[in-house]
Amino acid sequence: MASVLDVQSLSVEFQVNGRYLPAVTNVSLTIEQGETLGLVGESGCGKSVTSLAITRLLSKTARVNGKVLFSGPDPAQRNPVPSSGPEEVSARNVRERELLTVRDKDMQDIRGNEISMIFQEPMTSLNPVYKIGSQISETLLLHQNISPRQAFSQSLEMLKKVGISRPEQIMHQYPHQLSGGMRQRVMIAIAMACNPRLLIADEPTTALDVTIQAQILELMKGITRDFGTSLLLITHDLGVVAEMCNRVAVMYAGEIVEQGSVDEVFFNAKHPYTVGLMNAIPKFDATSKERLQPIEGNVPSIARMPKGCRFAPRCPHVMKQCVEQHPDLFEVENGHQSRCWLSVEGEA
Amino acid sequence: MASVLLEVEELKKYFPSGGGFLERSTGSVRAVDGISLKVYEGETLGIVGESGCGKSTLGRSILRLIEPTSGRVTFHGTDILKLRKSAMRDMRKEMQIVFQDPYASLNPRYTISQTLMEPMEIHQLYNHASRKQRVQSILERVGLDPSYASRFPHEFSGGQRQRIGIARALVLNPKLIILDEPVAALDVSVQSQVINLLEDLQADFGLTYIFVAHDLSVVKHISNRVLVMYLGKMAELASSDDLFFRPLHPYTRALLSAVPIPNPRVKRERIILSGDIPSPVNPPSGCVFHTRCPIAKDVCRQQVPEWRELRREHFVACHFAEDVDVETNSLPLGRR
Ligand SMILES: Nc1ncnc2c1ncn2[C@@H]1O[C@H](COP(=O)(O)OP(=O)(O)O)[C@@H](O)[C@H]1O
Ligand SMILES: Nc1ncnc2c1ncn2[C@@H]1O[C@H](COP(=O)(O)OP(=O)(O)O)[C@@H](O)[C@H]1O
Ligand SMILES: [Mg+2]
Ligand SMILES: [Mg+2]
Repeated sequence: MASVLDVQSLSVEFQVNGRYLPAVTNVSLTIEQGETLGLVGESGCGKSVTSLAITRLLSKTARVNGKVLFSGPDPAQRNPVPSSGPEEVSARNVRERELLTVRDKDMQDIRGNEISMIFQEPMTSLNPVYKIGSQISETLLLHQNISPRQAFSQSLEMLKKVGISRPEQIMHQYPHQLSGGMRQRVMIAIAMACNPRLLIADEPTTALDVTIQAQILELMKGITRDFGTSLLLITHDLGVVAEMCNRVAVMYAGEIVEQGSVDEVFFNAKHPYTVGLMNAIPKFDATSKERLQPIEGNVPSIARMPKGCRFAPRCPHVMKQCVEQHPDLFEVENGHQSRCWLSVEGEA
Repeated sequence: MASVLLEVEELKKYFPSGGGFLERSTGSVRAVDGISLKVYEGETLGIVGESGCGKSTLGRSILRLIEPTSGRVTFHGTDILKLRKSAMRDMRKEMQIVFQDPYASLNPRYTISQTLMEPMEIHQLYNHASRKQRVQSILERVGLDPSYASRFPHEFSGGQRQRIGIARALVLNPKLIILDEPVAALDVSVQSQVINLLEDLQADFGLTYIFVAHDLSVVKHISNRVLVMYLGKMAELASSDDLFFRPLHPYTRALLSAVPIPNPRVKRERIILSGDIPSPVNPPSGCVFHTRCPIAKDVCRQQVPEWRELRREHFVACHFAEDVDVETNSLPLGRR
């Protein structure tokens, strides 16, 4: 069966002062059913732009290339009323579509229905003048052939599923009356209302306190487990990746520089940027105080991408070849890739 | 042990409650509600707790950037809450603050040089030539090219701006620096550069730090002792190792267990706290943590727990800290 999401050589350039600048270059990734893929990297590395390109939410100044293959339920065979459990998705009723070329109307149908998104700041995606109940109902009414009354009771069910206490009351409240953690739960309720195959969460817990983050991560884990939803989890926090993800893709300066199973990448990291990230964070469970090992310098601006390896100016292992030649993503081991000349077989 | 540089006693800061149209307009926001602590010369005291627990208000009250409601702050033997304006201004040479968002705290129309000169001018320190020289040497010391002095804040990255914020705090040669979430807005690679810089400066200039943060890994790394706050009150205070490896307060344990550890092979028992932090306008009766505490009993709802030294230099405000102590081996910090 095809992957739920199969992104092939995705590139995004932004037109700035008449020039096209590369924000995302040649990104390829796949997500299987029920799998959680982490997309990790520092700010400005292209994580959000990648997710916005996949969902076609980028502005007109963006030039997008590549393929985004999405396998979802065949619209012709989709059950109008969702079953309560994980949706039966067998090879028979799945259809693969290329999202960059489907019609706008079809894309609107897919968004919020088969692919849902949640963002760091729920306040920007919730409408301040509508009550919580109507915001969830609206999503249901938009995508499903049900009555407002059914939509209302399904909305209430969703609030219960995401662990909101006093759901009847919350249905009648406005977003600003809720705490940050509650709003993020409401966002998840809206995102999951139509039982999507793919959930894209862009830094969903970055603005929350750790105790609330723990609640939300627990909730998202439960959702992927119980509904078989695939999750693209964007984060800058390696701890969140270790806790949540099956596989991880590390982004640097618009490119994936390392990709593999979480275990492989954490215990057998090959790319100097990945290694650098791990050494730069304080070890929470260390008893002795070791000095942190920073990565010197800064992430390059998209207007000044280095020619060879984009990490070369900051890399402690830089060689002549790195400055001159741009490295491919080399296969290190089955399913583990690294974009580094030192990862070429025999040189590691 | 080193001598006490700063002592805070029963410090309180109540804000008038805004009284939104849904809230009762009576009462006040008890942002800081009875904090007592000592800070020793040359140490780093970390302060952690969830947002809204009063960390920033505490830091600002200590410096009298906002006037505390009551309590006492003694710096080097002087009760600074009693100082008049001019004497307080002199005192501020010794006590500086660095904020989370360096951009918001830097004047966008000032060059870096002007930003760094200003405090020396206000305090009439040095002559013009040595001020200039001092700007150059401090920029160099914080890892910035001295030629940047003529540039404006917007020309710098977040990490560089934070270096400028640190330079401005250093320029008067203070004894104490309060660092309020100094690395929270920075990416990890830059965060580690700034943390290392802070450690070096502390060693070189014999600085004392109060390091406020919500990132527990960072606080653990940089602090000698750590205070855990909850709803304006002290929950626990201990050496960094004691607090992180032998925590006594159920809140500390929950907080530690919630931190995602960047190691996919570590499996931990997580203590998930239900609900959100209650409002500081109407804090819960008894122990303020009882509404979210997994081991709360009747007494917790009725009686404010005493602040006691359960182990040497390890303070906690919990009626049942002894019981927690017994379980300490099955700890949130799961060791491999
Ligand atoms: N609309 C836009 N126009 C020009 N540049 C943009 C635009 N959106 C994002 N960028 C740039 O693209 C790069 C990647 O941004 P982003 O995907 O938001 O990073 P991340 O989510 O990893 O922090 C950044 O350098 C950012 O400044
Ligand atoms: N100027 C103010 N007026 C009213 N309430 C305030 C003011 N400043 C802070 N508070 C409130 O005091 C409490 C503590 O805030 P703060 O010290 O900023 O917490 P922290 O730094 O731990 O996040 C919060 O409930 C906050 O809303
Ligand atoms: Mg982003
Ligand atoms: Mg604060």
